[in-house]
Amino acid sequence: MTAGSAVETAEDVTRGSAPLWRRMARTPAFVAGTVITVSVILAALLAPVLATHDPAAQNLLGGLQGPSGEHWLGTDQLGRDIFSRLLFAARTDLRIAGLAVIIPFVIGVVAGTTSGYFGGFFDWVVSRVVDTVVAFPFYVIVVAVVFAVGAGEKGIYVALALVGWVTYARVLRATTAVHARSGWVTAARGGGLSHARIIGRHILPNTLTQAIVLLMNDIVFVIVAVVTLSYLGLGVQPPTADWGTMISDGQAFVATKWWLSVVPGAAVVYTGIGLSLLGDGVADVWRVE
Amino acid sequence: MLLSRSALLPIWHPRGPALLCAAPTEGSTDVTLTSACTSTKTIRRTGVAVLTAGVFVLSGCTSSSTPEREGTAADTTATTAAPTPGGTLTFARTQSPTSLDLHTEITANNAFAIDKIFEPLLSFNAQGEIEPWLASEYSPSEDGLVWTFTLRPGVRFSTGDLVTPEDVVYSLNRHIEVGGPLPLDAPITSIEASGTDTVVITLSEPYTPFIAELAGFSNGILPADLGGVDEATFFKNPVGTGPFVVDEWTEGGDISFTKNVNYWQDGKPYLDELVYKLVQDDNQLVAQLQSRQVDVIDSVASANVATLEGNSSLTVSTTPSWVVEEIFFNTLDEHFADRDVRRAVSYALDREGIVAATSFGTAEVAGSVLPPSVPGYDATIDSLSYDLAGAKASIAASAYPDGFSTKLLVASGNTLRAQEAQIVQAQLAEIGITVEIESIDLAAFRERFRAFDYSFMINSATSDVADPNGIVSFQADPEGGTNGYWTHYNNPEVTALIAQGRTLPDGAERTAVYSEIQATIAGDAPFIPLSYPSNIKASQATVQGLTVLPNGSVRLQDTWLTK
Amino acid sequence: MMNGSLRWLRRTALRVVPVVTGVVLATFFLLRLVPGGPAAAALGDQATNEAVAALEAQMGLDQPLMTQLWSYVSGIVTRGDVGTSLLYGTPTSELIAGRVGVTLSVVALAVLLTLVLVVPLAFAAALHKDGVVDHLIRVVPAIGLAMPTFWIGLLLIMVFAVNLGWLPAGGSGDGVRSLILPAVAIAISMTPVLVRTLRAQLLEVLDADFVATLTAAGLARGRVLVHVLRNAALPTLTLFGLNIAYMIGGTLVIERVFALNGLGALMFESISNRDFPVVQGVALFCAVAVVAVTVATDFLVDRLDPRSRLS
Repeated sequence: MTAGSAVETAEDVTRGSAPLWRRMARTPAFVAGTVITVSVILAALLAPVLATHDPAAQNLLGGLQGPSGEHWLGTDQLGRDIFSRLLFAARTDLRIAGLAVIIPFVIGVVAGTTSGYFGGFFDWVVSRVVDTVVAFPFYVIVVAVVFAVGAGEKGIYVALALVGWVTYARVLRATTAVHARSGWVTAARGGGLSHARIIGRHILPNTLTQAIVLLMNDIVFVIVAVVTLSYLGLGVQPPTADWGTMISDGQAFVATKWWLSVVPGAAVVYTGIGLSLLGDGVADVWRVE
Repeated sequence: MLLSRSALLPIWHPRGPALLCAAPTEGSTDVTLTSACTSTKTIRRTGVAVLTAGVFVLSGCTSSSTPEREGTAADTTATTAAPTPGGTLTFARTQSPTSLDLHTEITANNAFAIDKIFEPLLSFNAQGEIEPWLASEYSPSEDGLVWTFTLRPGVRFSTGDLVTPEDVVYSLNRHIEVGGPLPLDAPITSIEASGTDTVVITLSEPYTPFIAELAGFSNGILPADLGGVDEATFFKNPVGTGPFVVDEWTEGGDISFTKNVNYWQDGKPYLDELVYKLVQDDNQLVAQLQSRQVDVIDSVASANVATLEGNSSLTVSTTPSWVVEEIFFNTLDEHFADRDVRRAVSYALDREGIVAATSFGTAEVAGSVLPPSVPGYDATIDSLSYDLAGAKASIAASAYPDGFSTKLLVASGNTLRAQEAQIVQAQLAEIGITVEIESIDLAAFRERFRAFDYSFMINSATSDVADPNGIVSFQADPEGGTNGYWTHYNNPEVTALIAQGRTLPDGAERTAVYSEIQATIAGDAPFIPLSYPSNIKASQATVQGLTVLPNGSVRLQDTWLTK
Repeated sequence: MMNGSLRWLRRTALRVVPVVTGVVLATFFLLRLVPGGPAAAALGDQATNEAVAALEAQMGLDQPLMTQLWSYVSGIVTRGDVGTSLLYGTPTSELIAGRVGVTLSVVALAVLLTLVLVVPLAFAAALHKDGVVDHLIRVVPAIGLAMPTFWIGLLLIMVFAVNLGWLPAGGSGDGVRSLILPAVAIAISMTPVLVRTLRAQLLEVLDADFVATLTAAGLARGRVLVHVLRNAALPTLTLFGLNIAYMIGGTLVIERVFALNGLGALMFESISNRDFPVVQGVALFCAVAVVAVTVATDFLVDRLDPRSRLS
């Protein structure tokens, strides 16, 4: 959604001449975003090492304990260690968000590029389908799809894929159309270049940057959507640890044990800020290319 | 054929469980909710639970008397303050009514609006005891086949018209004709009006649960021929004898009632107005009660009880319910067809632990298929309770000594069920049964078990009547209409006992039959009762006389507000 | 002029008709894919199979799918009738009419709040491009972006309703007061994206030739800003038009958090109960509303285009 500014200030120009890594290092959003995101990814990858307990081990008579030396963030209703579950939840949510963002990206890029490039009836159809999806209340599709395929990861992927590709398709269609109508494409066609070659070699490299910037922004929405679905009971199912279900499980105790819901919520916010700063940073760094 | 309280939403409300806090207030002798008695945490049933006698043992409260109540009693013997008439009570409920036709509805959202408008000949009180209601007297013939009901004098519909025997005949005949989800199962051959105040009902064979069934909300009395209007019009603006009359009804939203000025109990209802406010979320229920937007909240999640009890301006009531939280096996499933496997599961489950972790002291550990609040409950049967060695021995004796993998079906969006499922999963791992939890939305869940497309599931069963026949027929009689609550349980010995229990007159012999039924079912383990949840309601401390019935409804004609 | 309007009408129809058709067909088939039926949902766990079958027949669900689709579509086309609720027996349009007020009020209030937040922030950021203010305005709202809307709602309830008791925790019984927290939650979640986008667009306007010309012509900074504001009105309008669908979607979830009995609650409830005609009706209504807003925005932008006015 961040529309690129076509103009470059004097500062941008000087930055533009620096090598990529230096431009990255000089973009505060990129640096901060990278640090936060990497820390979350590390926590997820190293969960089995960092966790102090088995995240699934129950202790029915030791539920809802406050933070202590034994349980750093206390225990949940079934006496499971919250700190350990928080780490394993990062694994779940990052994995799902990662997959859930890639599928619509691919569909959207393919649909947008082909419809923008070829135009005509195919373009009309794609555009109307895009309009339809946009006009559809997001959660009707999501809830219906999740009910149809069953709550859980599969439902999330299908639902977000059905809805998410639209953003990419719209943008890619517009930018591809501009390139496709340019004089040199006509010339290249005249010169005997195949459509596939023109798209692959000459159009995609120009349009993909913007799509990736979009993806970086989209991943924040996706992670929030995954958590929201799990909170609504439509997403990740027990006993898998996930931030959304942790928030919803803790909600009943919010007056006495606020951390049960606040801590996993804070994890979502921390991750989201990291990813969104990183998205900004990527946009800033690439804007000059 | 029981009243399902998990009516419409997929977010099924975890209804925690268990105990009764009775404080006799102001001559209103039903179990009544007052702030004096909020400390009813874990009350363990001791050995012989006194429930057959219809009296509850209370250990949390010192005052536990439950004197007999006169149907007509006006609350005059107040010891603290006389009820003050007037005011509006806002009652927050998680589902709105969809129809007020008492003969076609079954779910709580409709039933507990219907029972404010229509009343049956007999009713049951907070202890589940049958008491005269629109009929002031009733008696069977010696052979138990002919029942004579005398209408209470001076009972009027909300229109001011007197209730006649013809109205009763019409109402019960309409129920038989419609059938509906809660049909009149009694073998009725005729319903006759006689004179100005008598109705005679003849049965083809003795049927002991008859009286208990008549006391259900779906046998309420309405005017003959619906007072001359068509069904749609009548049930939008129904006329009954109940304490309240529909005022405004937004379909899918709130429904408000005004008091029935012609109500037959003198001085009641105390409230001028009653509003059922739709609040579709457990946590919102609590938040709106805390911020004083509503007066009473229905079906409080057990997890919220501690929060509410911590607030001195609120009152929490936990009373016994007719609900049993259970694991149900599909006995056609390749693994669970094996009785030893089912017994092993029963031994492997630490029900004490499950109840401790999920009910926060509001539920009791279950053993029998009958809840303690239903007459005939037997606490002494062997319920195959937690015994890991026994579990291992049973699984070793089964066709699957090395365990197996299976799926546990639960309805999604229900926190309580999700927690229970995770515990079951962990505990069955101990005996080599690998469980995958399959959570699907409630409507899909129902489709699955109706098609026997499941291995085992967690659900609850609710009795509709204060008679053991209801729940055992429903769960264990192959002719009961639901194939043993979709377990396909069929033990001819139990079936014969159930038939016997229907015809035996109340007494020691009948009680013995039901004890045997409970013991046999527990031994076969087609279902494993996990817990007996309570009806949990919470209200502002200003709300008095909130009489909670074991089916979860509230007698709001007894309720008043202090200033 | 006449010619232009006709062309606009034709273009609009070409856009609207396929979308509405698509939404109608998609909801119809999507819902039929979902397992579980309305009769079992209405009768609860303990109803017998006979009772369920009888109710299904009464609902007309024993008819072949194509017959059901035909009667649904022909109802819309010939009578403008979007069906009757299987659960309530009342026309879907009546149910929607009873609920739409709450939803629209929340959306309207949220749009207003969002405008109040977004426009000054975006201006401040754009005018101080790359300054401290700019970075702050870009980073701080990013926190809002990373917070799930339901979570913002929960925090607001905890603080302002339960702890401070300033505003109702939920429900719509308290007039505008009960709409404030839900609208704030939506506004907070919408602001970050909109601030960024509007900032970028403002930078374009600020950079446009006419601003340079005006500045060069010696116009006071204040006067230039007025011009910028006028020209920025357009992208702002477009932006809100584009985001209205997202906002309606957000409202549906927030209704649930605040127990508002609006369209969102009706939709969730109807999906759970498999009350097909109502879900179809709500989806259709939302789609028409979104398309209408988009078309209206396009129309306004067409009319107000500064380039045409400047020339």
